[in-house]
Amino acid sequence: MNFPTAVLVAGAWLVCGTVMPRAAAAHDYLVTVTKPDRLFVIDPAKERVVSEFHIPGAQDYVSIIVPSPDGRIAYVLINKAESIAGIDLRTGREVFRADLVSPGERVQCMFAFAVTPDGKELVVYEYATRLGIDSYTVLQPRFAVFSTAAGLHATPLRQFSAPRRIEMVLAKQDGRSFYALGFNLYEYDLGSGHLIGTRGILNWNRPHHSSPDMLAFWPVTEPTGIFVSPLYSTLSGPGRPQAGVPETSLMLLDLHTGQLQYHDFETTSAPIFSAVLSPDRHWAFGAYTALTKVDTHRWDVAGRINLAHTYYSVDISSDGKDVYVGGAMCDVAIYDSGTLQKRGDVRLPGCGDQALATLQVIRR
Amino acid sequence: MSGLKSINQRADLLLEAEEAGHLEEVSAMETVAGCATTFDPGWEVDPFSGVASLCQPMEADLYGCSDPCWWPAQVPDTMNTYPSWQEQKPSAQDDWRELDAVFPNTNAVFPKK
Repeated sequence: MNFPTAVLVAGAWLVCGTVMPRAAAAHDYLVTVTKPDRLFVIDPAKERVVSEFHIPGAQDYVSIIVPSPDGRIAYVLINKAESIAGIDLRTGREVFRADLVSPGERVQCMFAFAVTPDGKELVVYEYATRLGIDSYTVLQPRFAVFSTAAGLHATPLRQFSAPRRIEMVLAKQDGRSFYALGFNLYEYDLGSGHLIGTRGILNWNRPHHSSPDMLAFWPVTEPTGIFVSPLYSTLSGPGRPQAGVPETSLMLLDLHTGQLQYHDFETTSAPIFSAVLSPDRHWAFGAYTALTKVDTHRWDVAGRINLAHTYYSVDISSDGKDVYVGGAMCDVAIYDSGTLQKRGDVRLPGCGDQALATLQVIRR
Repeated sequence: MSGLKSINQRADLLLEAEEAGHLEEVSAMETVAGCATTFDPGWEVDPFSGVASLCQPMEADLYGCSDPCWWPAQVPDTMNTYPSWQEQKPSAQDDWRELDAVFPNTNAVFPKK
């Protein structure tokens, strides 16, 4: 889709969509996407969709969402992971676009990108392949930094070499560096691309633990500024079977201080895909086919309920009272964080599939 | 792994690594992304060798796997090989009847009967 068409389509949705009201007091909204190209803003208090927008040129692919720090823009990975679109959440207008491919080079972002705390730059992890006449050359992965003010034809301000197998980029809150999550946890200087430090994930060297297994595609870091992800390993040692005992742990990465923690909390009994920490940091919630509540003081399971179906992505309200689950299929469910009782369900118009969508909470 | 028999080249490499004492260098699934590097189980059995902890229902996981080319043997890969497989079918739970099985393009090798 070319630029004029994109503007026309976005404009048409501006007419059709209900634009978010300007609230005097800050209020939580949920943001998610569905196939083929829809972006939704949901008012969880009213349990209804308040805005529905079209993302131009999504090519049936919408996935990771990263909101700007002020909650005005949603940056969405689209177009078979070859483009990132920035959509104004009040108007539905596309205000930013980075098409990663260039002539002779195929580039895809496998889920990993972040907005800097000042909202001015986007750090994108890129896999690039040079397309020759008779051969393809796999290039070294790289980080590409874009200005969010670059409009609809953004090109990188700077690029620097990156390790393979990075699945998440997270901006550190001091604005000077960012984290890349893969086999290890890497920290890079935002300006120069200099590798500041490496801490082990695969080689976490925890006594009696095997190397962990990790699936971290959902970049939810609020309301605490701490990224939380489940990890799976096996415990071995005296008194345990030779094959080991499967253990579920949580990784906590504080984006303010850089503190990295690992905590075991149960012999694995239910898979968890994504997790989020409550505002008071007392509870963590994990989602997949069950919703799990973890006591972070005692580090044990405080509650678990079966969900109506698999949800990939979990998030929490700013006051910590409600837990939201989304991703996969076409609804977002709301649960009481204290009792884990279901409080509501918002079915997304058109029932497009959320697939790998990140369920994000913005506060406006 | 004495009870397991390799059925593809990647599994052969795993057995070779075991024989050579390099098993610790083989890391399954750990923070990988994309079809070339994924070889964990998941569509057939869950981590407990059962099915109760697989995605429920299967349709919930369908596009979450086809989009990132997660299990290209079980789910058509829409990132590279079958980009239009789910075109005009945005809802896996409603449109699953319209989703066709796919086959490698064998015409060039095996002429139609």
